[in-house]
Amino acid sequence: MSATDKSRSERSVNCHSERSEESPIGVAPAVGDSSVAPLPRNDIHPKPSPRLRSLSDLARFRARLERDYDPDRARVRICMTGCRAFGAMKVRDALAREIADQGLADVELIETGCHGFCAGAPVLAVDPHGYFYQRVRPEDAAEIVGASLKNGAPVPRLGYPGEGDARIIRREEMPFFRGQRFIVLRNCGHIDPCRIEDYIRRDGYAALDRVLSSLSPQGVVEEIKAAGLRGRGGAGFPTGRKWELCAASPGDKKYIICNADEGDPGAFMDRGVLEGDPHSVLEGMAIAAYAIGADEGYIYVRAEYPIAVEHLRVAIAQAEHMGLLGDNILGTDFSFHLKLKEGAGAFVCGEETALMASIEGRRGMPKPRPPFPAQSGLWGKPTNINNVETFANIAPIILNGAFWFASMGTEKSKGTKVFSLAGKVVNTGLVEVPMGITPREVIFDIGGGIASGRRFKAAQMGGPSGGCVPAEHLDLAIDYESLTAIGSMMGSGGMIITDEATCIVDLARFFLAFVQSESCGKCVPCRVGTRRMLEILTRITQGDGREEDLETLERMALTIKDSSLCGLGQTAPNPVLSTIRYFRDEYLAHIRDKRCPAGVCAALSTTPCQDTCPAGVDAFGYIGLIAEGKFSDALRVVRDRLPLPAVCGRICYHPCERRCRRGDVDEAVAIGALKRFVADHEATAGLDTPPPLPEDRPAEVAIVGAGPAGLAAAYHLARMGYRSTIFEALPKPGGMLVAAIPAYRLPRGILGREIDYIRRMGVDIKTGVRVGVDVTFDELRRQGYRAFFIATGAHNNRRMGIAGEDLPGVMGGLEFLREFNLGAPEPLHGRVLVIGGGNVAIDAARSALRLGAREVCVVYRRSRAEMPAHAWEIEEAEREGVNLCYLTAPLEVVAQDGRAGGLLCQRMELGEADARGRRRPVPVEGSEHVQPADSIIAAVGQAADVEWLTALGLSIRDDGTVVADRHTQATKVEGIFAGGDLVTGPASAVDAMADGYRAARAIRRYLEGLPLPSAAAPVKSAVAVGPPPVETEACPRAAMPCLGLDCRCDSFDEVELGLDEAAALAEARRCLRCGREEQV
Amino acid sequence: MSEDAFRFTIDGREATARRGMTVMQAADEAGIRIPRLCYHPQLEPFAGCRLCVVEIEGMRSLAASCALPATPGMVVRTNSERALAARRLAVELLLSDHPADCLTCDQCGKCELQQYAYELGVRESPFVGERHRDIVDDTNPCFLRDYAKCILCGRCVSMCHDVVGAGAIDFAHRGFDCRVASPFGRPMQETTCVFCGQCVQACPTGALVERTRAGRGREWEFATVRTICGYCGVGCGLRFHLKDGAIVKVEGDDDNPVNRGRTCVKGRFGWDFLTRDDRLTTPLVRKNGELAPASWDEALSVVAASLKRIAAEHGADRLAFLASAKCTNEENYLMQRLARQVFGTNNVDHCARLCHASTVAGLALAFGSGAMTNTIADLRRAPCIFVIGSNTSEGHPVIAYEIKEAARAGATIIVADPRHIELVDYAAHWLRQRPGSDVALVNAMCNVILAEGLGDEGFIGARTEGFEDFRAAVEKCTPEWAAPITGVPADKIRAAARAYAGADRASVGGNAEERRRAAIVYAMGITQSSHGTDNVLALANLALLAGNLGQPGAGVNPLRGQNNVQGACDMGALPNVFSGYQRVNDDAARQKFERAWGVGARHASPLPAQPGITVVEMMNAIEAGGIGGMYIMGENPALSDPDICHVRAALDKVEFLVVQDIFMSETAQYADVVLPGAAFAEKGGTFTNTERRVQLLRRVLPPPGQAREDWRILLDVARAAGADFGLTSESAVFDEMASLTPSYAGMSHARLEQAPLHWPCPSGDHPGTPILHTERFTRGKGLFHVVSYRPPAEEPDEQYPLILTTGRILYHFHTGTVSRRSRNLDTLAPEGHIEINPATAAEIGVEDGEAVLVSSRRGQIKIACRVTERVDRGVVFIPFHFAESAANVLTNAALDPQAKIPEYKVCAVRVERAV
Repeated sequence: MSATDKSRSERSVNCHSERSEESPIGVAPAVGDSSVAPLPRNDIHPKPSPRLRSLSDLARFRARLERDYDPDRARVRICMTGCRAFGAMKVRDALAREIADQGLADVELIETGCHGFCAGAPVLAVDPHGYFYQRVRPEDAAEIVGASLKNGAPVPRLGYPGEGDARIIRREEMPFFRGQRFIVLRNCGHIDPCRIEDYIRRDGYAALDRVLSSLSPQGVVEEIKAAGLRGRGGAGFPTGRKWELCAASPGDKKYIICNADEGDPGAFMDRGVLEGDPHSVLEGMAIAAYAIGADEGYIYVRAEYPIAVEHLRVAIAQAEHMGLLGDNILGTDFSFHLKLKEGAGAFVCGEETALMASIEGRRGMPKPRPPFPAQSGLWGKPTNINNVETFANIAPIILNGAFWFASMGTEKSKGTKVFSLAGKVVNTGLVEVPMGITPREVIFDIGGGIASGRRFKAAQMGGPSGGCVPAEHLDLAIDYESLTAIGSMMGSGGMIITDEATCIVDLARFFLAFVQSESCGKCVPCRVGTRRMLEILTRITQGDGREEDLETLERMALTIKDSSLCGLGQTAPNPVLSTIRYFRDEYLAHIRDKRCPAGVCAALSTTPCQDTCPAGVDAFGYIGLIAEGKFSDALRVVRDRLPLPAVCGRICYHPCERRCRRGDVDEAVAIGALKRFVADHEATAGLDTPPPLPEDRPAEVAIVGAGPAGLAAAYHLARMGYRSTIFEALPKPGGMLVAAIPAYRLPRGILGREIDYIRRMGVDIKTGVRVGVDVTFDELRRQGYRAFFIATGAHNNRRMGIAGEDLPGVMGGLEFLREFNLGAPEPLHGRVLVIGGGNVAIDAARSALRLGAREVCVVYRRSRAEMPAHAWEIEEAEREGVNLCYLTAPLEVVAQDGRAGGLLCQRMELGEADARGRRRPVPVEGSEHVQPADSIIAAVGQAADVEWLTALGLSIRDDGTVVADRHTQATKVEGIFAGGDLVTGPASAVDAMADGYRAARAIRRYLEGLPLPSAAAPVKSAVAVGPPPVETEACPRAAMPCLGLDCRCDSFDEVELGLDEAAALAEARRCLRCGREEQV
Repeated sequence: MSEDAFRFTIDGREATARRGMTVMQAADEAGIRIPRLCYHPQLEPFAGCRLCVVEIEGMRSLAASCALPATPGMVVRTNSERALAARRLAVELLLSDHPADCLTCDQCGKCELQQYAYELGVRESPFVGERHRDIVDDTNPCFLRDYAKCILCGRCVSMCHDVVGAGAIDFAHRGFDCRVASPFGRPMQETTCVFCGQCVQACPTGALVERTRAGRGREWEFATVRTICGYCGVGCGLRFHLKDGAIVKVEGDDDNPVNRGRTCVKGRFGWDFLTRDDRLTTPLVRKNGELAPASWDEALSVVAASLKRIAAEHGADRLAFLASAKCTNEENYLMQRLARQVFGTNNVDHCARLCHASTVAGLALAFGSGAMTNTIADLRRAPCIFVIGSNTSEGHPVIAYEIKEAARAGATIIVADPRHIELVDYAAHWLRQRPGSDVALVNAMCNVILAEGLGDEGFIGARTEGFEDFRAAVEKCTPEWAAPITGVPADKIRAAARAYAGADRASVGGNAEERRRAAIVYAMGITQSSHGTDNVLALANLALLAGNLGQPGAGVNPLRGQNNVQGACDMGALPNVFSGYQRVNDDAARQKFERAWGVGARHASPLPAQPGITVVEMMNAIEAGGIGGMYIMGENPALSDPDICHVRAALDKVEFLVVQDIFMSETAQYADVVLPGAAFAEKGGTFTNTERRVQLLRRVLPPPGQAREDWRILLDVARAAGADFGLTSESAVFDEMASLTPSYAGMSHARLEQAPLHWPCPSGDHPGTPILHTERFTRGKGLFHVVSYRPPAEEPDEQYPLILTTGRILYHFHTGTVSRRSRNLDTLAPEGHIEINPATAAEIGVEDGEAVLVSSRRGQIKIACRVTERVDRGVVFIPFHFAESAANVLTNAALDPQAKIPEYKVCAVRVERAV
């Protein structure tokens, strides 16, 4: 590596000297790297700017620039740095052509640095109107020029998507920009970084002027100290204090170094500044040099940043030419020479002692400290090192004063911080926000939330040295100390957003692999220790993890942190520690269940859809078969795991779709609709007939509860050849499917058909029998039942715990639905309030409308984002006319004429996140008010009836659920198994069916006298599908045909109508077959 | 408590440390041993192994005690649970990538990793993962590198870079793949490796082992003998390791102050000649023209009888004796006593004549004493070192380590040399002078110092004489005058002069007086010249002018060539002086020796008063019929002397020749009697190294066969010639010598057993004298001499258009009598070569590696050429070690008029393609 370094060093010196002689000011020289094309420019300053020989020269020059600048002139500011990779150069050329063709001589086309909004690349701004266009293509040039530049009119289709089909076209109205505060990025996106005049016009070098004219070096140090600026490279050491130490160090030769060796994966803050506003760094360095008494400086920049290197070269040459760098700056005694040193790409060279070794031409390896660079740094001389962002803060502090700067931020962390927002967030890019802002504001308000509607998992902050910020800390005020306290860190500002499709173990493994490969190899804990940790993590992701691995990892991590030589090793284990701290369950899923919940780890997953399905249905397989027109085969695949395919096709919340990778292209495949299609298609055609039981023998299994769990257990036992009897307390089988889900969502004919299918397999369903009351366990045992599966669900309403809830006119949600579905519901009238935010609440609200209520209002104490009901259910409810009243909590039911007449409510606001990341509602004092109501439906939760089970000897948790093994559903009483909502608490049908499947497998082994399995076997697709006719071009998801809104509320007809065959075939072809390569 | 001392707390108790100490050093002093693996006392702290981590109150993380400065009031816990956990983990991690083959590992018992695994109770690593299973690199003749056992402590790399300066190995790759490697993984011979073996000695595990010891036993099975290296004048301490009486490896002696454990390739790997089959093991006597084995009695009686007969027939001065710079002080003393007392002649000399006679002559004139004024270790303290006429890295590698260390610490290095020698890479100023132009160059430097007022006027006034004449003489020697003579541009001469006079270090902090000092280092580039004494005097003038004498970090330092050339001179193996430079023509001195040796009064013949003749004169005298008998001990004039064709003719002609040696050298083949002597490792006695340090030699092995220690042989010859000296041991010889030699008077073997001593050491309680001339010069005042430039005796012309200069290479010594017989050394450098500048090569039409014919007025040799920029146009260079392509066939025997040293360094030659 030293050879590379030396050649770099020579190169940097040569280029630097050549540049200073040859580069004409204001014209960007050709870029040396062949991968980056030279930039032709339309230059408004053909003449080189003058050499400034005094402080007043600079002031005069700035005044002239300001005078010459017409703010009303039409200007296009196009990002020509980061956006280059997305075709910005072609857009620029097209614009230049159009501007010429349409004869707009007065328009200025400015090539700027990054605007920050990288998600919309290529982006451009049209001024003076403040239009901001994204995803601009060369074909858009004519319209932009014609409409915006000629006539000042916007091109709305290039704006940012707002509510519905609306577009936001002004920069300052975009939520992305609204929450930001620009100090470091003050010029990025506004100026041409290769024109020093642009910088000077916007107060560039005015701070240097002030320092040289009126401040002593000590005065500068005091100002920076008072501002409270802390090092933005990561450690957060107070900058002023650092300067003070170096200034006080004896020695007549000192150095200033700018650490621009930005190397964190996913971080590009420094790059943005260097490319977009290099002079801000130069000016900050010059001021620092003045403060500590240095006359020489280095910028150590990654060679992988060719544009940054080029812009720095140009900037240095311009500043030297104008007398802003070099000897006797602005005619004063102060001299400062600046050199560029290109780093060869070693991450460890961001560590300051390694960085200095690299400048000196040696292998970049850190040295122990003390001595600190302030005492003995580059070539043994006192040296001050700050990073790019720190230097970029200096000039504004000098100009606006320490007080101004210190007024932003938190008590200990002042000013702003630039973050590079990357990963699974909608608005990726560069953002600058005040310290003290919360991750939620950055990620959800500025960042636009998680892409593809998935759930936020964690934000990895501080790169490989940092840790994750999980949902529960989304409302933390960001500063150095708060992040450290939760096991993360500010770092240099990398913020990588992960969602549920990110495996947290894999994430930790990725960062550890990165640091391990970048370890300099000097110290043992870092070189070997991180390798051994990496090997353990890799083992876990491959399904060979052991329970004790987590303890070993934690023990090693702490010792490695404690005993490594430099910051790299001392922080390398952080991602592992913090992910174990917050996502231990996900680690355990890999280790115990041999399952990667995110479906990332190849050895522990099949396809994202199958992985995500609680029942492990092979969606990948049946969609492939549908695409080939093999509908019967497809249904067989569904039935392999699922006893109620048509039901699931209708009411399942299909988590598979949220994880579908097609969603990364356009929209997820309509997996649920396809399942429904194939089930309906086969049933309608009479092709869906059950296989008979292999032999006739007495039932040995008693199943209590004919809900989805019980039905599934009976179904799978039958497929394995075991008879069972289901005892159901309600008059109809189906459990919640029949008692809670309204017919307009699940037509009773469909449910009946599928239950009948199970009956036809030989399952005996006895309704109206309460086990424990009508027949006891002992009696059942005596009747020859050897195994029991209890799945009685959670059919009781939770109480609200407020006054008046027992008044007439107040109903429980489940009670209401049960009445509605199984009994003879009384018609409703007037205003109905539904309290709660779950699916039961929404179902109740929609049912209430259908029962004649004039107005239905759902009262929920949090906001829509926290609502547990499925989003599409809420949408449908809104569409049908249900009002949603968020952030409102019930305090008391107000009696009127002896029955409920209204609800005393209180407004809420959102406070900090709870353990799941949902923000807690906090009452707003004095906001009490009464909402009138004719009926009130309280749907605030469900509970199971477990008292009779205690008597059997089962263990019951505090929340009223029964304890059962996660792999076998076995309870602690031999022969008794349990599942469904009884065990999990209120969940969904598919979860219950999964329990039934597991119970059936375990019961079979129990009956055969075999030991029960201790872990789940990884699911694998067994379907071999031929080469798929895959449609990879953008192609919209098949829309579900629905009943017209006008006729919905009068009827209980099914709202969703199902796909026809052509639509289903087309939809099936949208599957990307992402598990294909692993499966066949 | 001294000013720098302070208190701190360690493991719960109070202790004292001093400013500048690390926590580890402070702990060591407090008697608390902190574990360490990458730490090496001679190297900057590496802080990579993390075994030495300790807990410091108030510090967030553990700190590496090897690098952490101790501070007042610091509270240190060396054995807290945290520190122990970190140490244990480090060892577990190291073992997870280390073969557990202690049962078969050579380093078992000395392995430091093994030791800490034991101390920390790590039986095996709990980690299972990838391991490095690299193949053992066995591509070089000296050592093996087993990458699998490497723990990347970095000691070898630091040794190679920071001590030796070879830079042959470094860390390569990153992360777990980080390895110690040569550039592009090439075999060490193809790198800049100098095979000094410091890396092997520093290695804490079995990753680097000497080939000779591999599979030959474990550390606890070895016996160890400390002695002194027999190669060059540096006088490195060595530790010989033996198993069952056979040598298995040699290491540098860490406790020896001269080399502090360091060696060059010859000392560490060049000892295998000792056990070669072709050692002389029995006396040989020429019968019927053939040398045939004979008994000691027969051989001794032939020697005594023949020499006595020649003296009796033609006079004692028909005999000539060559003592040996390779033999001990005791043996040289006996040789000159034998010549003077038994055979009555002062015709005794040795090869110092060929290397530093001009030094002895010149420095005696200027200062009164002809030896290194300062010490080797002192160079480390010099803020400026002027190296002229010395390729130190190859001739005196261990001294070069010191110069490089000084350079790294910030010293200004000035190199004057026609060739791009290694030290040029460390030099701030390189004066690429034309061979033989030294006086012009040095006078011009003096001119600059005078002209710019940079001289030390106080010193000149108080401690010198002859200044005015000198000033007048160099007034005309401006840099512009010297530039065309020397080939060095005038401004470079000026810059070098200013640097030597300390002018460029004025602004640097520290004691101004100390910062302006400078040391001169020179060797045979200065002395082996027809005006060698003038060269030496010019340098003496320079040092006097700048006041650079009698102080640490200064001085005039001639680097002596042979291991005991200083001692051989000190012992009086010279034609004009007894031991301690007591002149033979001084009656008082002569009478003292007569009394001590019991001659004069009782015997008819007193000691001769007339000084004898010198080496080259002896050869000439044989030709002229002036010498009939010759006794050569351990020298090889048939290869070492200039114009050897002439020498060989003389040896062939001399009537009776005795050669006492360990091999059948080129010279021995002319002998009438050959006496088998003992090598340096086979006897006791003392060597005096280049810095006047007298060190004790210890016997490692017995002499082979019937071979005898040389001091015994000399006593036997004396006895056979009728004189019993009554001496029975080396120490008895030393005591007699010391009683007659004031500068050695305070020394004895018993005292040297404790520690070596610098002469002069006039009494038993005198501590020795590391720096000469501190208060006064040996001659009183330092004397300026007027020296004028004279061109070399032979200059290039049309017929012989190139200048030939000769010298050494690292891997060989002297005439190769021993080094060529070392398999290790001869494998690394099997043949001679001529260095030719590419431009010159193009003119001649030869390419690198081709054979050429080199001829001078005196002879012709055939030799392979090496085309290199190391030499300038018009200059060629040949190392003089190789009999097959002997440079001295070509060299000119022109002598310096005072010192009688021949002009090895300049002659005119022609180079042609060998057809």
